[in-house]
Amino acid sequence: MARTFRLELLATDRVFYNGPCELLVIPAIDGEYGVMAGHEPVVLALKAGELRYTIDGKTEEAAVGDGLVEVTGERVTVLTDFAERADEIDLIRAQAAKARAEERIKARKDAASVAHAQAALSRAIARIRVSSRVVNK
Amino acid sequence: MESMREIRNRMISVRKTMKITNAMYLMASSEMKKARKRLAASEPYFFKLQSTINDILNHTHIQNIYFANGKTIPEEEIKRGYIVITSDRGLAGAYNHNVIKLCEERLRKNSLDKLYFIGQSGYNHFKRKPDLAEIEKEHNYAAVKPNLYRARSIAESVVDEYRRGNLNEIYVVYTKMKSALLAEAEMIKLLPMSADMFPGADLTSSEQSSEYEELYEPSPRAVLDNIVPNYVKGLIYGAMIEAYASEQNARMTAMDNATKNAGELVEKLSLLYNRIRQAAITTELAEVIGGANALEEQ
Repeated sequence: MARTFRLELLATDRVFYNGPCELLVIPAIDGEYGVMAGHEPVVLALKAGELRYTIDGKTEEAAVGDGLVEVTGERVTVLTDFAERADEIDLIRAQAAKARAEERIKARKDAASVAHAQAALSRAIARIRVSSRVVNK
Repeated sequence: MESMREIRNRMISVRKTMKITNAMYLMASSEMKKARKRLAASEPYFFKLQSTINDILNHTHIQNIYFANGKTIPEEEIKRGYIVITSDRGLAGAYNHNVIKLCEERLRKNSLDKLYFIGQSGYNHFKRKPDLAEIEKEHNYAAVKPNLYRARSIAESVVDEYRRGNLNEIYVVYTKMKSALLAEAEMIKLLPMSADMFPGADLTSSEQSSEYEELYEPSPRAVLDNIVPNYVKGLIYGAMIEAYASEQNARMTAMDNATKNAGELVEKLSLLYNRIRQAAITTELAEVIGGANALEEQ
């Protein structure tokens, strides 16, 4: 079995996962970032997207929101706004949110509202992707 | 001595009040159960956020606008922002008073400070004291049903003000559930960040001792610009949830006491009422007997 490290994945409303992990792939600000046991200590910003973690050769997926990640010698802490498994995602709601966000971006009211809409859009896309991948399987 | 009618009326009104306080007690206790559940669900995040930030700061020795090291501003020129979390309505015992008192102690009379409110009670209090601090009107939310969206909009606003230099320090004043029964008003500093910010946070002692310099990918600035607003939002959200549970707890206790007091008062009044009634009957009897005696003697 591959070497593992301790992964703590906490969302604002619950402890999503707390246990061993072989490989963690997170959506960082400049693309996906992989972490394995023995990784150097680092602090990362988490962007809304898809997160994957592998344990016992099995890969689990989740849609996550913005947040922060701290990697230390023995553990990885992921703190995020929300974390949802594919079967917990409300696809219809996510699609509605996506349409709403796209509309708001087109309206271009002011910089702040566009930034909000873009954040909402990336959350919606993350949810839709994670959710649809399971359906296609 | 009060007349019988007066006492009767008072008893009726006390009983009516008692019904109201009892209903409020029941409502608060059912809300309390829900609030406790949410608190239990979000507390791990709230505590972990504090200890993680603590951990990161203990291993970071760089200069950044979000960190306390670096520039120093004379005390009388520091512009402080306070996010004050109170309840929307009163009848919660000393709950609001404690938060307001803690906040007022910190304000200096130079109006450099700015207040953000979650909950109407705090706003209503400070509205009458415009010389103490500036009041932010745009972000003035209700305390019921804390959600991430509200926390996000306040966080964005304070971080923006901080970056522009309109605010130099940011605090949140709220009520923390110390234990299942004890709640206490508390003030925590959000910005600038320093390693001694959360003395209460449990540090993972094994890592505390290990010496290493924290890396930031891709760059400290890019990472901090992203995680600081998120951290501020997370802390405000956690504080809102803590405060809401404390509020329900305070209201429950206050209404329970009020109901008990009303019960005691009704008991005392009915004793007094019965005594007066008895006295009136005795007097009447004495009069009748006196009258009868007088007739017999004739």
